[in-house]
Amino acid sequence: MIINKLLKIFALILGLQMHSISWANEMNLLFIGAVNTSSFLGAKQGLTEAELMGEFLGLHYNLDNVSINDLNNIDASKYTVALLAINDPITFTNVAKTLKQIIIFNTALTNDSLRENCINNVFHTIPSEKMLQDAEQQYRQKYPESIAIAQAWHHDFVKFAARDLNKRYKASTGKNMDDAAWAAWAAVKLVTDSTARLNSTDPKKLLDYLKTSLLFDGQKGSDMNFRETGQLRQPLLLIEDSKIVTEAPVRGVSNSLDSMGILSCKTKNAQ
Amino acid sequence: MKIFPAISATLLFLSMSNVFADVTGRVFVTNERSNTVSVINIDTLEVESTINVGERPRGIGISPDGNEIYVTASEENKIIVIDPESLEIIRSFSAGSDPETFAVHPNGNIYISNEDDGKTTVINPKTGEKVAEIRVGLEPEGVAISSSGEYIIVTSESTNMLHIIRAADNTIENNILVGARPRAAIFNQVGNIAFATAEISGEVIKVNVESGKIIKQASSGDSNSKPKDILLSKDESTLYVAGGRANSVIVMDADTLEIIKKVPVGKRVWGLAMTKDGNMIFTTDGVSGTVSVIDTQTNEKIKTIDVGEFPWGVAIHD
Repeated sequence: MIINKLLKIFALILGLQMHSISWANEMNLLFIGAVNTSSFLGAKQGLTEAELMGEFLGLHYNLDNVSINDLNNIDASKYTVALLAINDPITFTNVAKTLKQIIIFNTALTNDSLRENCINNVFHTIPSEKMLQDAEQQYRQKYPESIAIAQAWHHDFVKFAARDLNKRYKASTGKNMDDAAWAAWAAVKLVTDSTARLNSTDPKKLLDYLKTSLLFDGQKGSDMNFRETGQLRQPLLLIEDSKIVTEAPVRGVSNSLDSMGILSCKTKNAQ
Repeated sequence: MKIFPAISATLLFLSMSNVFADVTGRVFVTNERSNTVSVINIDTLEVESTINVGERPRGIGISPDGNEIYVTASEENKIIVIDPESLEIIRSFSAGSDPETFAVHPNGNIYISNEDDGKTTVINPKTGEKVAEIRVGLEPEGVAISSSGEYIIVTSESTNMLHIIRAADNTIENNILVGARPRAAIFNQVGNIAFATAEISGEVIKVNVESGKIIKQASSGDSNSKPKDILLSKDESTLYVAGGRANSVIVMDADTLEIIKKVPVGKRVWGLAMTKDGNMIFTTDGVSGTVSVIDTQTNEKIKTIDVGEFPWGVAIHD
């Protein structure tokens, strides 16, 4: 009996130690939104890819999910990162401000005001409204009659390594990758890659890294990083009749990713 | 007693001269869009022949005995074998899904990246049999083999890693997280140091093979520079990096990784190969449809040769 008890205590100590060892190499991400969305599928795709990277480096990544209504019932302190796929900018801002100790990714909202407001812990992987409009305008400078619309992604995109990402997303979900899926995938991919490089899941260090040192491959041919507004700089695609007609910045009109969207904060937000 | 080693040395020499094919002095270039291989005469620097091969030829390599040229036909999922002398296609064998880049081990086996499957496949080209499969990261691309054959490096472009594989048992010994989209690597002669390019982060990375640690990394130039192939000079003092959209070959100090010079070549330069004596480098300029020749004594371009559409890989039979 005593031996049994000792063994149990021993196992407990061992277990605790093992837990504490693995904790340093573990990162928890929280998806806030509905799971029947392409945002969630994109986030899961990003996680699968992060787990493969983790296998080679001895790192572990977990992705939990919660609906916006149940957010109050969870302990947010165990998460380094939250991905928000919600459609209301006011709710979004409230959640971001409540979870100010962790890093927030906006994967769904295109509102320019969210970029101008520059909330310190918020990053946007989905392009803003003005980015999309600017891309369309650039195209219309060359083809005034065009009705092309700008998107972050398209399932027929094959250039660079887009073909590879489209193929693996289709293979694992059975669906075509759309803008929301790409934006959630990109958020998970860039943040998990960054923690592996930092060798830390400390949100403060990670926040600093994302703001100053990121060089992300979003599989659109350009290296990507964040503006001071928290917006991910990225090329866009112009789509007409469900076909990709060109990429933006549109060649001959501009060659700068900063030709699209808002570049700076409305008021310097020191917070 | 003294005669014996002399005889065996003679035998060794005889057997070696029997094994090694006569070098043809030909440069072989795959043309991705034309489905051809251009054959350049190394003395005249003119195209002497064009071979029709399979669909979307990209990776190219030579067997250790010099008797066979291997070309991946990516769209046909196979490797085509060409006789460097007669320029006839001898045979072909299956190379897994979407074969792109490979390297030939001193033992004759081919290590090939299967981009779609996240694995490296080891194939015996004599039999076409699969020898081993090694699970690597997403979108494996560049393959480099140390001259002793002890280590292989495979780059995985979307997991951003150099996987260091031990040839003895074909298992991964180290994984090194490097800049975004690593594309190609090369070992030094001893095999303890390797250099790699990262296309999206625009960097050259120097790593210690045994410790799996990064020694140094540096930018390969401006934002247009999307580096691909990389070569090390014979004296190991200088790196040559294909600059992609920078339309130049970037010459770097192999110790400090400082840029010494940019040699303008054709558009979207990807492939590089160096002559055995180290005196010339051949480049594939994809968008221009040309091969540029660089004199490594002066680091100047000495010739531009028109080849097929979208030249991709280059190998020298010298």
